[in-house]
Parts: sequence; C-alpha cells; structure tokens
Amino acid sequence: MALFLEQLLNGLATGSIYALVTLGLALVYGIMRILHVAHAAVYTIGAYVGLLFFNLTGSLLLAVLGSMAVCALVGVAIERFVYFPLLKYPPFVPLIASIAILLSVEELCRLIAGPQILTFNAKLPFPDFHLSGVTVTSTITAVYCITAAVLLLLWFITTKTELGLAMRAASQDMAVADAMGINSHLIVSVTFVIGSAIAAVAGILVGIYFNQVYPTMGAIPAYKTLALIVVGGLGSVPGAVVASLLLGMAETLLIGYANIPLPRDALAFIAMIGVLMWRSQGLLGSR
Amino acid sequence: MNRPLLEITGLSKHFGGLRAVDGVSFDIRRGEILGLLGPNGAGKTVCFNLISGVYKPTAGQISFDGQRTDGLAPHVIAGLGIGRTFQIVKPFAHLTVLENVLAARGIAHYRHLPKIWSSWKTSAERREALSLLERVGLSELADRLAGLLPLGNLRRLEIARALAVARTLLLLDESFSGLRHEEITQIEALIRSIRADGLTVLLIEHNMRVAMGLCDRLIVLDHGRKLAEGRPAEVRASEAVIEAYLGRKGSAHAA
Amino acid sequence: MSGYLITLGTIIAINAIVACGLNVIVGFAGQISLGHAAFFGIGAYTAALLATQAGLSFWAALPCVLGMSAFIGLLLGVPSLRVREDFLAITTIGINFIVEAIFNNFEFFGGALGIGGIPRVGMFGLKLRGTEFLVLCLFFLVVVMVVCWWLTRCWAGLACFALREEETAAASVGISPVRFKLLAFVLGTCMAGLGGALYAHFMRFIAASDFAFPLSVSLLSMVVVGGMGTLWGPILGACIIGVLPEVFRPLVDYRILFYTMLLLLMIRFQPGGLLGENSAARRVLAKMRPGGRS
Repeated sequence: MALFLEQLLNGLATGSIYALVTLGLALVYGIMRILHVAHAAVYTIGAYVGLLFFNLTGSLLLAVLGSMAVCALVGVAIERFVYFPLLKYPPFVPLIASIAILLSVEELCRLIAGPQILTFNAKLPFPDFHLSGVTVTSTITAVYCITAAVLLLLWFITTKTELGLAMRAASQDMAVADAMGINSHLIVSVTFVIGSAIAAVAGILVGIYFNQVYPTMGAIPAYKTLALIVVGGLGSVPGAVVASLLLGMAETLLIGYANIPLPRDALAFIAMIGVLMWRSQGLLGSR
Repeated sequence: MNRPLLEITGLSKHFGGLRAVDGVSFDIRRGEILGLLGPNGAGKTVCFNLISGVYKPTAGQISFDGQRTDGLAPHVIAGLGIGRTFQIVKPFAHLTVLENVLAARGIAHYRHLPKIWSSWKTSAERREALSLLERVGLSELADRLAGLLPLGNLRRLEIARALAVARTLLLLDESFSGLRHEEITQIEALIRSIRADGLTVLLIEHNMRVAMGLCDRLIVLDHGRKLAEGRPAEVRASEAVIEAYLGRKGSAHAA
Repeated sequence: MSGYLITLGTIIAINAIVACGLNVIVGFAGQISLGHAAFFGIGAYTAALLATQAGLSFWAALPCVLGMSAFIGLLLGVPSLRVREDFLAITTIGINFIVEAIFNNFEFFGGALGIGGIPRVGMFGLKLRGTEFLVLCLFFLVVVMVVCWWLTRCWAGLACFALREEETAAASVGISPVRFKLLAFVLGTCMAGLGGALYAHFMRFIAASDFAFPLSVSLLSMVVVGGMGTLWGPILGACIIGVLPEVFRPLVDYRILFYTMLLLLMIRFQPGGLLGENSAARRVLAKMRPGGRS
C-alpha cells in the first residue's frame, strides 16, 4: 500500500511537470492556433541556462530568475521572427518551422554544452515528509508547491486582471480585439513571455528532479505535450493541466502494475486517439 | 405536376440559445425566382446552409421533389441538382477559372469509382464548362488563377460553378453585393436567362430594389421567423415589413 | 559510378517515391500528415516478413505490400480524416509513435533486434545489386510520377485540388470530402509502402528506429522545400535533403545545425517551396522564358 501511494505521488509529480510544459503550449495554441513544438526547445534552454547560472552564482533563486528572463526573450523572438510572419500560411507551415527550431536548438545545446548528460546538483529548499511509512522527498514537495504556485498565479492573471481579460479577448478573435483597442500582437507576445517563463521553471525542475540536463531532453516532451493538449481540449488550459496530471499518474501506475508491452511514451498518444474517438473536443474543451 | 419543387416545413436551427431560424415554412414553385429578404442576422444564410446541407436542422423538414433532404450531406444534395453560391465568395483560389467550373462539372463522375480516373482534358465536360464561362462572361479569363480575380468576376465564377451543378434549383446568396451598378444589371439579365432555361432560382438579396424587380415572389425573414410572403407589391405594402425592415434601414433602397 | 554515389542515389530515389506519396496527401489533397514514416515502415515490415517468413519473392510480395499499406491507410485514415486540421497533424504524429512502438515491442516484428536476412530482389534470374537496383528504384519512381501526373489531369485529382482549396465549396459541387481525402491518403500510403518494400530489400536489415518520427519530418521537409502540390517538387526536395548532409560533411560537427537552420530559413522565407507559386526559382524561370506564365 505504501509503495502504491509512493508510486501515485511520483506519478503526480511527473504529471505536475508535464502540466508546467503543456501549459505554455495550451496558452500559445489558444491565442495563435499554432502547434508550438519549439516550446520544448525553450524548456531545454531553460534547463541549460538555469544550470549555467546556478554553477556561476551558486544561487538557485538567481538561476531560476535568470533562466525565466532568457526563456521569455527566446519565446518572444520565436513568436516575432518566425510565427507571426507565417500566420497567413496553412497551419503546418509554422508547425514545420517550429520543428526546425526544436532540432536547431538541440544541436546548439549539443555543440555548446557537449552531448553528455550534465548533472544538476541543487538542493531545493523544501522539507521531506514521512507519513506512516510513505516518504515524500523534498524534490517532490518542491514540484508540488511550485506547480501549485504557478497554476494559482496563472489563474489569477487570466481571470482577475485586465491583462487576462485582454488575453481572453485576443484568443477569441484577434481582429475584434484590435477593434476594441487591444494591441493583440502585444498580448500574443505577453502570452509567449508567460508560457516561456513557465517552461524555464519546468526545465530547471526536471533537471533537478531527474538530476539530468541533456540536449535532447525536449524531444519526448515536445510531442507528448501535443497529445496532452488534444486530450485536454485544444486551447483549454485547465484541460491541459488535468490531462497532464492524469497522464503522469497513468504512466507511472500502468507501467508499474499492468505490465503493458508498450513503452510509456506511447501511452499519451493512445490516450489521445481514444479521446478523439470518444470525445473529439477533449476532456474540458468546448466546440 | 403542381407539387412545389422544394417544401420547407417548420424549419428551425438553434445555435445554443440563439434561434437563428425558428419554425420557418415556405415552398419554392417550379420555374420561379423566389427572393429571401431580411435584415442582417435574419437567418437567410442559415436557411441556405440548411437547404444545401451545410447545417443539419434542429427541427423541421425539407423535401426536394418529394424526397426528404434534411440531414443529407452537402455533396449528396449537390448530386440532386441543387447548386449554390456563397455570400463570402469561396473560389478554389489556386485553380484556374476553367478548373473551378470543371471541378463542379465533374459531379457526374464523382460517385463512380472507375469514372474518376478518366482525364478531364479532352472531356465533353470541358466544353460544357467553357460554354458556361462564356455565358457568365468569363471565357477570356479561363486560364487565370481564380484567386486573382476581382470581386465582380468572382461572383460570376460562383454562379458558373453553381450552374455546373444545378440541374433544377439554383441558390444565390447575395450575388449582387459589393458590385457596381452596371455589373448588377448584367447579372440580373443572367438570372432571368437562367430562369428562362427552366431552372428555379432562390436568391438572398439585401438590395430591395433589385429584389423587387427580379423576383416573382418574396419571403421576408426577421429574427429567424417568417414575417411576410407574397408578390413584391404585396410585401412592399405589408405593415410588418415596413416596420421591421424598410423602416429601419431599407428606406433609401426602397425609394 | 562509385558505390557511395549509387547508395546515395538509391536512398534518394526511394525517398523521392515516398515523398511523392506524401505530396499526394499534403500537396494535392491538403491534408497534413506527420506520420508518413509509419506507412513507409509498414511497407518495409510487410515486405521483410513476407520475404523472410513466407519466403515470397519481392515481386510476389509486392501486391500484398501495396494491399497491406492501403488497408492500414484506410483503417487509420477513416477516423483521422474526420478530425480538424490541427488534430490531424497531432494524430498522425501519434500514429507514427505508436507504429514505431509496436514494431519495437512485439516479437512478431523482430522486436528491438529488427528483421535481418532480407534477400536481394531477383529478376530474370539475377540478383539485383548496385546500379541494377538503382535502376529498379528509378523505374518505380517513374511509375509513381506517372500516377501523380495523371492525378493532375483526372477527375479524382481535380476533386482533391478543389477540397484542398475550399472544403465547403467543394462539397457544394458534389465532391465528398471524406471519400476523396481517403482516396488521396490511401494512394499516398501505397506509395510509401512501395518505397518501404524497396528499402527493406535494399538495406536487407530493418529496425523500428528506421521509421521513427524524425523521418516523417524529413519527408515533409522534402515536400515543402521542393514545392507542395507540384509534380517535381518532391523529387527536387528529396535530392536536396538527401544531398545536403553529404555536402555539409566537411562541417563535421556543425552539419546537422546547418541543415536544420537551412530548413528553418527555407520555410520562413520560401514557405511555398522552391517550385511553388511566387517562388524565387519560378520568378527566375519566368524571366528567362519570355511569354511564359509567371
């Protein structure tokens, strides 16, 4: 029973990290209708820059803030110089550009930092818990707390502030939002800033959680998160979060107990195809 | 054969809480030009989309020549000989003008798997498509890309494309909107000649004067309901119509 | 010709066959597919299993390979093509991952070890190798191109073009969207299957990772770089994408970066492809040929 609970908590932690990455993808899809595969590149950059700053300064806080700033810049650069000029083309044109960015960033990281797996030996300032035989490590506590904080902050921004209102207006219809006096291109950029900064946090968390930072760490998340935003309902942020948490737990439990003959990374896509058959608008999506 | 060509009874289409079309009934008689009028948002285009199968009705039924057509897919309805145009023109932009009409003229082939493999380059349909282009006055532009045409020519192209499909019924959605006066006159003449060939025409029109002059009968919709029906003179005299439509925005047109 | 050039040429010819199939789906019918490598793999595995397990010759197996590719294309196409455009991109990515996982995890498909010992193609009592096999691939490439060329002038092709341009309008003139999207999809998967069979008999050893998602991206890049919906685009694209890594070989470590950056610049500044409308190449050609349609 204790083992099962520990597995469940691990799964929830994996799901939380998926959620942090998927969030940005859902935000970007919601406002721009672009499948932002390069989001995983931003996340990889986040992990590398975070590790660099951590090694330079020794301060985890500085590493996180610095990484968020760099990632925000990278995100906006991708939006301004690649996606925005390609909006008038069929949606797979920006998608291919996005994949090309992901591959280029993987190569850049490999050339600059080397192909080997780097370790991220940081101690997160969170306590361990021991409850009737179940241990919750400080890293897992940190993943929970940080994910919850990010989700709360995002919820606050999107529902309680004028910026959030403008974001929702722009995601409904950019032309109408422009007519209402909202600078929708600015809002799109702000969305990329928020999504990319969250990706930086996710990258650092993953780096510490698995104690690994490597060039192709974004490859699997890049496509798995695509499946997740479909399962959650394209463009639905709450849906993406719920789908991520469910997948994290399902992967851990099914692989641990059911012994299915498929690798865990295929599970997201099987879930996605099931959702498309059964409820094509996704878990929380609307038509 | 005095049965109407198209019978619409109790037709409704709701989008969530919005009743875009709400219990509308009317007939289209063979060989007439019937006009569908109404202010913006009255439900005219939704009616068209219901007849042509783009939407499935929430309630009510549509019979074409005695056969129920509500719920059929658009390409099946086209196969019955009903052609339509779109208010917001939808050309096949990267195909030539001729290929646009040909794609429609191929309707006889699309349902037979062996026939779709035959070439259209030397087919009888190609000659028919060319003569349709001549009829709408686009034969000189046959090899241009459709996406590069100005709006007036696109409206003609849409009519030619719909004519390639329409054996019995032609649905025209605001074919005059955005056009200059002389273009309107030409298309009016075209529609009259189409009717003279035995086709039945249902058209949506915003411009009251054009509709009054062209149509045999008019139906006025407002807020998804039928407000009036009758000959142009009768409709013009109807109090309800004057209040709902002419009184608000159509006075300049009607004068 | 050196063995190196023949090998490169054969790979490019096979890729061109598969890219032509993808072009039918993406360029002709306007349906995005990011899982084309899966169908390439299905063709290769079918051919490999029929050759090694059932002992069929390449020629006897070919109809089965095409039939199997068409059948699985149909099976996966029916649900996929009903979903919206963006879903289709993700669904096809998913198909690619799942098919690769199945090849990799089931003993029947050789599991992680793959399938080896695939015989060479025999013809007139000869075992085709080197140049002869290249000629065989080029022969099939010509067959595929003739099919594509015929599509540009038959009703089925016209219906697909119309669907690509405007689905609502196409349906309003009697073109069944589902039927013609499926038709293009199945034609495309058949061509991928054909390429797969050639690949299996050329490499004589296949493994699941040969048909992973990055190959789908390469194939789509070939179509996009060459010019989607054009007849020669996929061939040009297959040549460029096939030759570039070789040209960049002196750059050693930097060659993949150059290659991906070039792809990014290409799609950013010439999204219609080298042979697409309004492309730089087209404009130059039009200037060189006075009176030609620009």
